[in-house]
Amino acid sequence: MTDAVALRPWRRTPSATLGLYLHFMRFSFLEYLAFRLRYYTGVVSYTIFVAGNYYLYGALYASRPAQPDEPITLGGLTLAEMVTYVGLSWIGRSFYFNNVDRELSGQIREGHIAMLLLKPVHAQTMYACRAFGEAAFRLLMFTLPIVLVVGPLFGLLAPPHPSLYGWTLLSFLLALLVNTQINFLVGCLAFYLKNILGVIRAKMVLMEFLTGVLVPFTFFPDWVQRAVGWLPFQAISYIPVMTYLGRRSGDDLARGLLIQAAWAVGLLAAGRWLWNRSVRHVTLQGG
Amino acid sequence: MRSSPSLDAGAARGGLRAALGHQLGVFGAYFAQFLKVRLSYRVDFAIDLLANLIQASVQLAILSVLFSKVPSLRGWSYEQVLFIYGFSLLPLGLFNIVSVNLYRFGERYIVEGHFDRVLLRPVNPLAQIMFEEFNIAGVNEIGVGVGVLVYASTRLGLAWSPVDLLVLGVLALAGALIFAGIFLGLTSVSFWFEDRMGLAPPVYNVIRFSRYPVTIFSPLVRLFLTFVLPFAWVAFFPATWFIGGPQARRLALLTPLVGVAVFGLAYHVWKRGLRRYASTGS
Repeated sequence: MTDAVALRPWRRTPSATLGLYLHFMRFSFLEYLAFRLRYYTGVVSYTIFVAGNYYLYGALYASRPAQPDEPITLGGLTLAEMVTYVGLSWIGRSFYFNNVDRELSGQIREGHIAMLLLKPVHAQTMYACRAFGEAAFRLLMFTLPIVLVVGPLFGLLAPPHPSLYGWTLLSFLLALLVNTQINFLVGCLAFYLKNILGVIRAKMVLMEFLTGVLVPFTFFPDWVQRAVGWLPFQAISYIPVMTYLGRRSGDDLARGLLIQAAWAVGLLAAGRWLWNRSVRHVTLQGG
Repeated sequence: MRSSPSLDAGAARGGLRAALGHQLGVFGAYFAQFLKVRLSYRVDFAIDLLANLIQASVQLAILSVLFSKVPSLRGWSYEQVLFIYGFSLLPLGLFNIVSVNLYRFGERYIVEGHFDRVLLRPVNPLAQIMFEEFNIAGVNEIGVGVGVLVYASTRLGLAWSPVDLLVLGVLALAGALIFAGIFLGLTSVSFWFEDRMGLAPPVYNVIRFSRYPVTIFSPLVRLFLTFVLPFAWVAFFPATWFIGGPQARRLALLTPLVGVAVFGLAYHVWKRGLRRYASTGS
């Protein structure tokens, strides 16, 4: 009788699973809270990015030959909209940015991944939860101060309709999901390459461009716009920022959010697949 | 078998020339060691080099797309701005090759205590820190910079005299010296405040905007970039030697003086900090 009880496989109840992952979120939040002072210079950095672009686009719009009775637009945006585009792009980045790729590859390179594999948690879910905890911290201690500095300093516009505040927030939440999953996939490359510092740098450089943070895609020729439309990166910044500016309304608004959700699910599945494949032939270094 | 010069203690006694040779040998050994470590992950190393090319391509694409909208940027033509951008990559590349450890000096050397090891060795501590790790991608940046310069100056119809080439080299080195001075100054702050990251990242982020003609900024920002954080002297002022009028040419020649002044000041602060240094004991 007692033997049968002992042989029954252990199962975690769904509520225990939820509680477990919520703990990862909370711990990550608290960890970052301990280093909050580091983020003050970050506020300066982000302000500099916006300021530099503010002057650059100011000069660019001023150099455009004036047309009578028409506000100057470039790529379909007025100067005020352009400054708002840049400002919100960096505000958003301060929220969704994380170092899941760096953390995961560090664990793999130094062999600590063995400890993670022994624990009854799934690495992908755990890292996603840690990223959410970090994002919650960032929202409060990093994004909010940047909004308070950058908003008034450069006169960022409010969205054309108040409801767009809500849609933009939802869109940036989906952006966080997509970004976290891309970082998880990149981190998994460390199973094959061991050291991926160069990969991470290449990713960062490419992403600044492909997410639309540096320049809106509407500045580029048609074929570039079509090409980036097929990539997941527009879901990280371009879609939420254009949503805020009211460039997406009605069906187009819904389509934008659906594209983001689809990429989030697709990349989640890809991460699951790559992780399960990778851990089967993991070689541990150090330890 | 050759004996490694770094192991030859007798060399240090043979006067200044031999001492210098000894130090150079030490740095050669540092470099060889670094290459061995870095090349042990070949694929990542190749991708790291690729990252630089991607970055340059992205920046060039953005520059040309911006200029496709306007005939000129506050009077500066696409080719002129391209020239300034190309030039800016020379000092940046030179500086990037040796600057890795300046950024993490506070964290790695002060907080983690690696500085004690450095101080125990009979080689200039600052040189040790700068030469303990290299960023080979900097060489790449220089290559891209030269390529852009050649393209831009062909489009501008510039004729290069041997003097111009000499000036180019001197000004690029002076620009690198300004970079080194600014970041050494920021790094030296770690001696007073045990700060892990400090002010270096925000300051580094200013660099990407100092590649544009400084005249596109407001007067206050212009003054700031000229006298407070003198990034305007790294690319814009030196580049005017080649693309500016006769008055600007004279200004460009002040670059080496600015470089020596900035680095000298920073080295002085570093020395004061060095005297103040007390180990964390870890």
